[in-house]
Amino acid sequence: MNNNQHDTNYISSRRHFLSTGAFSLAGVASACLLRDEGLLAAEKKEKKQVRPELEQKTYDLKPKEPLFEPRAKAMISMWMQGGPSHLDLFDPKPTLTKLNGKNYEGDIKYDNAAEASPKLFASPWKFKKHGECGTELSELLPYLGEVVDQITVIRSMHTGVNNHGQSIRALQNGRILGGRPTVGSWLTYALGSETQDLPAYMALIDPGQLPVMGVENWSNGFLPSLYQGTVVRAQEPRILNLDPPPFLKGNPQLRALSYLKRLNQQHYEQRRGYHDLEARIASYELAEHMQLAAKEAMNLQEESLATQKMYGMDKPETKEYGSRCLIARRLIERGVRFVQIFTPNQKWDHHGNIRAALPAACKIVDQPGAALVADLAQRGLLDTTVVQWGGEMGRLPVIEKDKGPAAQGRDHNTYGFSWWVAGGGFKAGHVHGATDEVGHKAVENVVNHYDYHLTLLHLFGLDANRLVFEQGGREQSLIDNQGGRVVKELLA
Amino acid sequence: MNAASQDAENIYFEEHVRPILKAHCLECHGEGKETEGELDLRLRRFILKGGDSGPGIVVGKPEESPLYERTLEQDMPPGDTKLTEAELATIRKWIESGARTLRPEPETIGKGVFLTEGEKKFWSFQPIRKPEVPQVKHADRVRTPIDAFLLRKLEEKNLTFSPDADRRTLIRRATFDLLGLPPSPKEVEQFVNDKDPKAYEKLIDRLLASPHYGERWGRHWLDVVGYADSEGYTIQDPVRKHSYRYRDYVIKSFNKDKPFDQFIREQLAGDEMVKPPYRNLIPDQIEKLVATGYLRMVPDGTASSGVDAGLARNQVMADALQVVGSSLLGLTLNCAQCHNHRYDPIPQTDYYHLRAIFEPAYDWKHWKTPAQRLISLYTDEDIKKAAAIEAEAKKVEIKRREKAKELIEDALVDQLEQHVPKEFHQALREAYYTPAAKRTKEQTALLKKYPVIMKLSEGSLYLYDREINTKKRALNTEYEKKKKQYLAQAREAELKKIPAEDRAAAKAALARAPVKRNEAQKKILARYPGVEVTLENLAQHNSKAAGELKQLKAKLDKLVPRAPQLAKISEEIKAIRAKKPKQEFVRALFETPGVVPDTFFFSRGNHTSPEQKLEPAVLTITSLQEKCEIPINDEQIPTTGRRLAYARYLTSGKHPLVARVLVNRFWMHHFGKGIVGTPGDFGFLGDRPSHPELLDWLASYFMENGWSLKKLHRTIMTSTAYRQKLKAIPATGDIDPDNRLLSGMSLRRLEAEVLRDSILKISGNLNTKQFGEAVPVMEDKVGQIVIGKENLNAGRPGAVIDMKGEQYRRSIYVQVRRSKPLAMLDMFDAPRMSPNCEARPSSTVAPQSLLLMNNEFVTRQSLLFAKRVKKEAGDDLKAQIRFAWEEAFSRLPTERELADAIQFLQDQADILSKQPEAQAKMKKEKELTPQLLALASFCQALISSNQFLYVD
Repeated sequence: MNNNQHDTNYISSRRHFLSTGAFSLAGVASACLLRDEGLLAAEKKEKKQVRPELEQKTYDLKPKEPLFEPRAKAMISMWMQGGPSHLDLFDPKPTLTKLNGKNYEGDIKYDNAAEASPKLFASPWKFKKHGECGTELSELLPYLGEVVDQITVIRSMHTGVNNHGQSIRALQNGRILGGRPTVGSWLTYALGSETQDLPAYMALIDPGQLPVMGVENWSNGFLPSLYQGTVVRAQEPRILNLDPPPFLKGNPQLRALSYLKRLNQQHYEQRRGYHDLEARIASYELAEHMQLAAKEAMNLQEESLATQKMYGMDKPETKEYGSRCLIARRLIERGVRFVQIFTPNQKWDHHGNIRAALPAACKIVDQPGAALVADLAQRGLLDTTVVQWGGEMGRLPVIEKDKGPAAQGRDHNTYGFSWWVAGGGFKAGHVHGATDEVGHKAVENVVNHYDYHLTLLHLFGLDANRLVFEQGGREQSLIDNQGGRVVKELLA
Repeated sequence: MNAASQDAENIYFEEHVRPILKAHCLECHGEGKETEGELDLRLRRFILKGGDSGPGIVVGKPEESPLYERTLEQDMPPGDTKLTEAELATIRKWIESGARTLRPEPETIGKGVFLTEGEKKFWSFQPIRKPEVPQVKHADRVRTPIDAFLLRKLEEKNLTFSPDADRRTLIRRATFDLLGLPPSPKEVEQFVNDKDPKAYEKLIDRLLASPHYGERWGRHWLDVVGYADSEGYTIQDPVRKHSYRYRDYVIKSFNKDKPFDQFIREQLAGDEMVKPPYRNLIPDQIEKLVATGYLRMVPDGTASSGVDAGLARNQVMADALQVVGSSLLGLTLNCAQCHNHRYDPIPQTDYYHLRAIFEPAYDWKHWKTPAQRLISLYTDEDIKKAAAIEAEAKKVEIKRREKAKELIEDALVDQLEQHVPKEFHQALREAYYTPAAKRTKEQTALLKKYPVIMKLSEGSLYLYDREINTKKRALNTEYEKKKKQYLAQAREAELKKIPAEDRAAAKAALARAPVKRNEAQKKILARYPGVEVTLENLAQHNSKAAGELKQLKAKLDKLVPRAPQLAKISEEIKAIRAKKPKQEFVRALFETPGVVPDTFFFSRGNHTSPEQKLEPAVLTITSLQEKCEIPINDEQIPTTGRRLAYARYLTSGKHPLVARVLVNRFWMHHFGKGIVGTPGDFGFLGDRPSHPELLDWLASYFMENGWSLKKLHRTIMTSTAYRQKLKAIPATGDIDPDNRLLSGMSLRRLEAEVLRDSILKISGNLNTKQFGEAVPVMEDKVGQIVIGKENLNAGRPGAVIDMKGEQYRRSIYVQVRRSKPLAMLDMFDAPRMSPNCEARPSSTVAPQSLLLMNNEFVTRQSLLFAKRVKKEAGDDLKAQIRFAWEEAFSRLPTERELADAIQFLQDQADILSKQPEAQAKMKKEKELTPQLLALASFCQALISSNQFLYVD
């Protein structure tokens, strides 16, 4: 009898796992400890006894069924903070070339008034058709050209809010407001994770400064904190709270844990039968296990030299970003649901000096990004993994800083810009949508941020309007009643 | 209550069938406004009589009884919830066995909800009567009447109390219980060696007198009230700057053992004890107004944008009633908001009668936002002073406006000059100064051609400054370069004029800054004053160069960035306003005198479906013995007096629930579990008291002793029950598996705040400063919530602002931002307030272990603890171990433990001395040695261990 009783206590103390946790690792452990089917079955039985109104909602990261058959299971987002110039990379505009230097007659919204000019600015770079699909890409993206048959270029992205912060929010959390969950949070809330040894949602930040909007980029908003993105840092400790401070790494921590275990066992000797104490002893072992899993996932030495080279890890300019792309692939392989890779703060915000700065930025990301697509494809993972490449805006077709070629740049443009996507049920070798003849505004098959989100979640077998969370007496969703549609033309 | 296993002979309508019908059917069949199909299921005889489709049951024949058949077929009840198999079996057996009632049914009942005998006799609604203290076999173990009640039950099962715990265990248990901190080793030693037979009683008195007592017990109350420093409800989650006064009021009230009845009255109706208008208030009046913060703690989204205002307002009231229900009544009142309570005898009308008591203050039709419910503590004198200062600020504002105009004109001239051909200047200028709506087509077109002109405004001046600054930098470089060059040339020329042997010395003297020249250097320069060429006398040596420099300088001086000039005046205005007396506010609930709003019954709880008007009244079920009239508008006082009357009724000593609910919660905080296991639900679905007589004895004792909590603590803590050793769990055959009989003490994990505060205490860093504004929390660079002042730059955390020791305040003073729970506290089950917390869970999860292993707070405090150990105990390992052990565990280590610890410290120092990252760290921080780092690792093991995390 007493055994049963203890079991019940054990479960109810464990059940709280599900709703606890101030950092996203919480969920990892919760699902881990509940992996035991027996426990879960017992939990279900127990639930029936609870009156519905008072039942505490519980959350976990166990894998969950989507609403309908999904195409995508995981996602890697390459987040190009600052706003890459679509006019110089993805969206060739012969008319713009023709009108180079003429005043633009249409309406235009400048961000920097003091450097504004109405003079049209043709792309200084050449475009060329690639692959069987013949999609035109800029000469700045030679590697992407090699995988162009795997990707879809969307040339009609639109958020319509002309500064970094708000447009980042629109694309990352669905609205221009802060305090809302990001796409990765919604996905892990809906689908859990395929692995219980690693965080479900990981943000691979750049070694430099955080992107604009900082931690909002991986915020869980009003969702339980278990759905927050876990940051992987470029330096030790890579994952705070999961990795020890450097000086305790390895042997010192192992020795400390073995001493702690001895302390706890001696303590338990005199308190036999208190299962909470046993559970806590076990939880330290589980913690160790999670540390090892994370360490293994990020150990790139396990990859062949050829693979490392493919991601550009042998070249100084691509080494760092390439490593993170490769880590992203390893995480996805191990069942992580959502990974976002960040470029340095404002790397693409080319208000001036675009002739030098844009090629430099492309050098960093072109090869690793293309390698990621090719690598996922050769491993058979691309079919079920969405790859997304883009930032919060594009650039204007007019000159900013009209003070000679070296100074020139382009101002913000959220009315029409380009992204590319691949895998997970997106079309391959395709171009969707178009901007006007000078590339200022999206005019054909416009993809608003909410259209994109509806489409993306659709690929995961979810309806972004019906995926809700009750907050403050209201049902909240990623779309938040903005309308929009699943862009069927993007689906393979 | 489990009817499925009931023998058919013992199934009765009142006990077994009616609760099922009440939960599922009565809303539409008897208790609601409409009676569907004319079928009333409230009484057996109504069921027999049936409705439009004939009798509800045929006695003895379930298959022919629609009540059974239709529920079995799941025709009824409509909706997703169907009867369970057990419930169906009960109905079936009841019909089969003759459909009996326990007692004759009432001759007549009115419409709607009627209270059955069973409900009226339910334990928690009975008056509280002080029971006789029972006689027990082991009278020697009885120290207080509490022990007798407990022992009687134990003896029924052939059990008894465990032996008394030793003094170390006792002082640790009592100190954690009353202060939420571990005792210091000195306090432990004193107590262990105290020969006074009253040593233990003295200990309890000392702890109760500590100013930290209120911080510990106030926290318990704040849980059930749902204290928060933010409004919640929406994602904006605005900060409540002023709610800390209520937190401080609670701490102080506990510290001074304010009689709990008074404490309750103040919280429910403190405002009605102060005469409005609330101006020029004295401290006692302020305290009473602050107390009503109790009714202002629930989430309040009524000032947020994008909310359904009606819904948000009514949610505030519903949540507030829920807090009143769970904190004082132990009832789930909110279950009666949309329909009659499905389990407890609370008709939906009762809910709205009760709401009417609170309506005049909240007044949802004339709603006041959180800001409008602040009472300013400005005196008339302050108001006068502030007005004078504001007038002064207004004058400078005019100056600022004029300056802005002037600067824009200046920028306009400059931009025209730079970017626009002369012939368009006049036209553009006119276009620019013409308001946008009045511009001609031509003017608009012209401006569009020159966006630098069109976009020029006060707000964009800073963008134009960038250009000025760039120019200024370039010009300045040129100026400095030329200055250096001309001065050097002139000096060289002068040096040539002095004797060759002095040249080198004079040159060296010149190279030094005047204040740094030595005597010899000063002397030599005094001898040849001509060589000291400066900017001031350059003209005498080279008038052309001096002229050029002067021109450059003049150009440079003209390049003044414009935005900072405006910013400077803004600062000036701010500085003037800062001179106003600081305006403090009280977050309160209060009525508007003379306004008496109506309360309506909301059909299905929907505020857009108001029906009949309802007057204020208390719950029917709790006022059967003790009637209570709530005035509609008390003529004696300016406010309606409704809450005041209600508060008096609740604290009259005759209310069946209030004192029981309170003492049960106090008991829970001492023993880990309440006498009633569901502290917020004393209704039918709640737990039944394990010791009903003890509960009533405690409630009576509490009220007899002036509702003094400290007296109750003394009585509870001096009992044998409380002083027992930790319950030993037998390997088999535990008769009392969840320890409800208290055959020993229960093991308890430290609550989140206690854990954090205790780590800080033993590391020597706890800042014991009391009261005041909340210590802010923020997101750190990865999004974890930590203590700190937010310092964002484009959404990213900027430089960390020094918290000056505030980061080490006790946890109760840390801001409770609903959307940003402090990671350390959240991880260890500190509640999320939505709206309140009736009892905390105690979880055991791996992330807690990861936090204790790797979190920056923990590793940092461990190192600080180690430094303290080294400072106090010196370099001897044994002395260090003993010191740390006593601090963490309130006892000395055994020989075996000591040997283990020595071994660990030596091993770990050795390991660390070889670990490259540790070597690097020691190289950087000179005070660190392998021994000290090993000691820190040891300290961390202690505070991560179960011995520290759990209290016996």
